[in-house]
Amino acid sequence: MILWLIITALIFAVFYRALLGYPKPRRQYNVLARREVAFLNATAEVLFPADGAIPFSGLEVDIPNYADRFLSALEPRVRLQIRALFMLFEHVTIFLPASGISGFRRFSALKIEQRELVMQAWSQSPSFARQLVFTALRAVLTMGYLGHPIVARHLNVAPYDIDTPVCEADLLYPPVGGHRSEILFTEADLTPPSNGTPIDLDGPLAPEYLENSMLDGRATAEGGR
Amino acid sequence: MSVSARTVGIAPECLRVFTDYDADFELEADAVVVGSGPCGAVVAHSLAEAGHSVVLLEEGPPFTPRDFEFEGSLSMARTLREGGLRSTSGTILPTMQAIALGGGSLVNSAICVRPPEFVFEEWSNRFDLEHTTRESLNPHFDAVADFLGIAPTPDEVQGRRNLLMKEGCDALGYSSEPIARNVRGCRGSGECFTGCRARAKQSMDISYIPEAMRHGAKVLTSVQVQGILSDGRRATGIEGQVVEPFTGATSHRFRVKGKVVVLAAGCMATPILLQRSDDMANKSGQVGNNLQFHPGVAIAGIFPDIVNPQFGATQGYQSLEFLKDGFKLESLWAPPAVAAVRMPGFGKALLERFADLPYLANWDAIGSTHRSVGTVRPRRRGLDPNLHWNLHPEDVKVLTHALWVIAEILFAAGARKIIPGVIGLPAEMYSLDEARVFQSHPIRARDLVSAGNHAFCTTRMHGDASMGVVNEFGRCHDFDNLYITDTGIFPRCPSVNPMFTGMALAHRASQQIIDAL
Repeated sequence: MILWLIITALIFAVFYRALLGYPKPRRQYNVLARREVAFLNATAEVLFPADGAIPFSGLEVDIPNYADRFLSALEPRVRLQIRALFMLFEHVTIFLPASGISGFRRFSALKIEQRELVMQAWSQSPSFARQLVFTALRAVLTMGYLGHPIVARHLNVAPYDIDTPVCEADLLYPPVGGHRSEILFTEADLTPPSNGTPIDLDGPLAPEYLENSMLDGRATAEGGR
Repeated sequence: MSVSARTVGIAPECLRVFTDYDADFELEADAVVVGSGPCGAVVAHSLAEAGHSVVLLEEGPPFTPRDFEFEGSLSMARTLREGGLRSTSGTILPTMQAIALGGGSLVNSAICVRPPEFVFEEWSNRFDLEHTTRESLNPHFDAVADFLGIAPTPDEVQGRRNLLMKEGCDALGYSSEPIARNVRGCRGSGECFTGCRARAKQSMDISYIPEAMRHGAKVLTSVQVQGILSDGRRATGIEGQVVEPFTGATSHRFRVKGKVVVLAAGCMATPILLQRSDDMANKSGQVGNNLQFHPGVAIAGIFPDIVNPQFGATQGYQSLEFLKDGFKLESLWAPPAVAAVRMPGFGKALLERFADLPYLANWDAIGSTHRSVGTVRPRRRGLDPNLHWNLHPEDVKVLTHALWVIAEILFAAGARKIIPGVIGLPAEMYSLDEARVFQSHPIRARDLVSAGNHAFCTTRMHGDASMGVVNEFGRCHDFDNLYITDTGIFPRCPSVNPMFTGMALAHRASQQIIDAL
């Protein structure tokens, strides 16, 4: 009886350590589960550290917010594949533990030094499969990091504001998934086509990339674990 | 005269979008065209202009500038099949297929290059295609070029990133030239891959398709063609279901009957459609075989002075110097987040590389990898393909040679370092001497970080009906009125960007179809 109790307690402990006990995120996400939020923040902290050459860390730019939008945009089957990638990396350290006595934990529960060592092992692994997993994971997070307005502005690669001409097609097409009543333009709104004037490199940025844009606001309010 | 001015007066009922469908339906037309990418759009326009009734079907929705996403991954998730994450098995090669009105033209860089004479000579000699010569196709190239305003990229919108390539090529004595594109009034925003906000790129959704509608073509978007109907040697129409944008949820059923059926769903989808339709048009056994790509490899060069890579035509310069060696060189830009994905490492080292982005010029080579072939097969469910493809060791050598030449040009243009992005090689190289490792280090297929965005040959044309799926005018050997006009009909990879060739062949096929109707 006691043996069974011990076994049950051990199974519960392993189960808890692997799958439960994730902190509640500070905001609601559309599709991300709390374990994915924790994993993404833990990964972003190592991939894009605070004291690097760019003065914004992975935590500050709220990678989970980007990942949530990205996953929402994907068809269900592909979304599942990306989530499986997160899940794999999060739990692989239970089977391939990180160094140290506390290394036998899921990735997001490891100390930052341990997470760095795990990343290093994956990035330099002679195994093609492990390199592929690492590259895929880094690619997803990199797109979230560099796509953020504060980072894009800092690197001078943010898109510029452009006057979009209204052409005949714009009188025909509603926004994706929308009704015809949502078509913004009539024949009276047609404008001359682009005349090929190069964009002004000192000109304003696209509204989404201006300082204090909505995305910036979210980063400030929600960044960090 | 601009396309906008020419297309005024289109009846709104010529277009159906997802929210227009409220019941099952049936239609009839002279011609049913499946796929609204460059090849399908040309056919739909030509037939409608000739006075025939046309129904053009597209699984994706129309996108407006309001729908464009700046962030590369979000844009890809919405405009590309499988969220832009499709890849081959065998040698892992990411590849893409658009799902949007206008197909790939909405999110490509608008490159229009006529293949050189030797490509058509090879096609003609090896595949028994006596009428497919550069000379015989020139009138069709000209017709497409006139319609779309294809012209070399002007210097004013090249930006330093593109012009550096010219400098490097000049220094080494390699030929180079501005890339001709289907663009009118480019402003150099470098946003071709996420949708042109300047409406300068003449993608099919704002050029051929509205013009086809002006001539009465009906365009059905958000409809998934699931099968081809036939009776003996005649295709009688198609059937399918309405599909919701992005979720892919299917609803109302439809049928469209036609005197002629034209498949232009792309070389990864057309074979699946045929295979799903009782393996039709496949007496030759070639449907879904012979898959070829132009695998692309790239190197990022970091220059001592600001390059401002986000300014300039997405791909403005090219070199055809090495076409006979098996590769074409191009300058390249992508959304920064996508451009940087290949940068190696993590942590502080990775951030240092990101900080170099303003100094970056990225150049690529696309390889004519004739020896590397694969297959397209249906999955157990759905219309997405299982792609299997292997990069041949001899073609690895071609791509490695291309990487060496890019390194040479980058250093000749003044790069202070390069990021080769090849597994097993140093993450950064600071001199041409260091780059000689490309010539000495054995590089395997899986070491190359590559992508294959041009795909061909899965329903190849061949003069001999036992060796190919269609004849050189796109008609299926096994059918009297079933045509294929996408890049699947290429007998071999064309060595240059395929859109223009595909459109010219589609234009020629249209003339045959008009005669047949």
